Amino acid sequence: MTQEMQFKTIVAQYCEVKPEDMNNDMRFREDLGFSSLDFMAFLGELEDTFDIELEGEEALQVRTVSEALDLLESLQ
Amino acid sequence: MQEYYPLTAAQKMHHNWILKYKTQQVSGVSVVASLKSPLDFGLLKKCIQLELQRYGCMRVRFTKPDKNGEVKQYIIEKDTRDIPLKDLSGMSMAEADNLMQQWAYETFDGDDIPMCEVTLVRLPEGYNGFFIHMDHRLIDSCGLVVMINDLMKLYTHYRFGSEYPEDLADFEMVLEKDLKRANNEKRFAKDKKFWDDQLDALGEPLYSDIQGPSVLEEARKRHGNEKLRAADIELEKLFVEVKDYCLEPEPTRNLMDFCMNHQLSMTNLLLLSIRTYLSKVNDGQEDITIQNFISRRSTHDEWTSGGSRTIMFPCRTVISPETDFLSAAYEIQNVQNKIYMHSNYDPALIEEEMRRRYHTPEHTTYESCYLTYQPMPVKMDNPHLENIPQHAKWFANGAATKKMYLTVSHTENGGMNFSYHYQTVQLEEHDMELLYYYMMRILFKGIAHPDMSIGEIMEQI
Repeated sequence: MTQEMQFKTIVAQYCEVKPEDMNNDMRFREDLGFSSLDFMAFLGELEDTFDIELEGEEALQVRTVSEALDLLESLQ
Repeated sequence: MQEYYPLTAAQKMHHNWILKYKTQQVSGVSVVASLKSPLDFGLLKKCIQLELQRYGCMRVRFTKPDKNGEVKQYIIEKDTRDIPLKDLSGMSMAEADNLMQQWAYETFDGDDIPMCEVTLVRLPEGYNGFFIHMDHRLIDSCGLVVMINDLMKLYTHYRFGSEYPEDLADFEMVLEKDLKRANNEKRFAKDKKFWDDQLDALGEPLYSDIQGPSVLEEARKRHGNEKLRAADIELEKLFVEVKDYCLEPEPTRNLMDFCMNHQLSMTNLLLLSIRTYLSKVNDGQEDITIQNFISRRSTHDEWTSGGSRTIMFPCRTVISPETDFLSAAYEIQNVQNKIYMHSNYDPALIEEEMRRRYHTPEHTTYESCYLTYQPMPVKMDNPHLENIPQHAKWFANGAATKKMYLTVSHTENGGMNFSYHYQTVQLEEHDMELLYYYMMRILFKGIAHPDMSIGEIMEQI
């Protein structure tokens, strides 16, 4: 499984969209229905799964799937 | 072979209250769900028995406490009990509610016993349904709503041929995942650092009471310590009264629109109104802490596995009176977002750390107010039941571990219900009236003038 698909599989646990139907332009809150709590719990799960450290402020700027993937890549 | 598991942090929170207050009553949660319809009780009984199989958390039991009072949990494979039917139809609805309130006061005493009771009820005015009484270590209110909906989906499947409900997530699997995460050393270190950093930055919290500074003053006298920053907890007279206030649909819509337009969550707006009230009645105190309950349900599995996932964390903010309303709301939101990210932590460890650092006396607290925002109504969300009047009601367990516990939920007509649970030994209905009145004044002044400073709002209301 590619990292992108692994990432989307995690995202899919938090929303109604299947990984294969997930578009990189989708916004976490508006398109995928994440609440603040969902988003922060999701960030925590990303940290644990990909063994990365997210800076709160930077992570909070993330709006879309593609921005999150870019951030993930930059931290590895 | 039977697996035994330790309690999760959320379960431990309730368990610690049972130990501290020496009664299981503080951990009771009860609800009645009914429809104005002649239900087939034989079928409903079958569906409840099926639900006991589907929803693993209903089959959780606890071992005998060890010498430290700690227990392990395990899930029995099958629970084939009978489900009794009680006929309350000869009473008025108020009398029936009163009787069910008495049931809600009952305790589950013993080890290795079921911690969950379901009773079929024939209610007045043609309502029929079921009453559920459970231990909070097994389930929280979100979990109960999910269960009620699943149960009624089973009923409408067998009764009307609707689709069979999808499988629920396996409680044991989700429990194992939670415990694994709690044991992740890296995660634990990050969470601990976040909470320790907050204390490093802000120092010891300062108690603020709904009734003003006299409560802390009295505690200082009692402990002979004029610098004490925490106040005593009531440990014996736990009786609680409930006072509900309904906010009409239109003003509710205004609050929700404000939240949507400013990307704020309702929880944070409510926290702001409570903290502003506490600041107002405590001589403008800027450092305020409120305990806020978080329902740790984000993934599908977490939503449908049941269990007790709600956990409370202190929301501490230091907000100067010059801060404008909107900025203050964002400040709270910022704190809350960080708390969400570290909500895997055991809040008992935060308390432990504070006691270690500040030598806080036993049985004292830094908070007088507790908030739960419950966006999910107890409504049977089922197209087959859409046009049937429903009667659903939560019952307080009658023993409050908290001086004032506010639950805010949405009502069917689009309004909001503010349910204040307060310890009668210290508070009266009038205190709740004042609190609600000022919370509303603060909220509506603030959303009408988001650039007005908190100090001005406190003066004008």
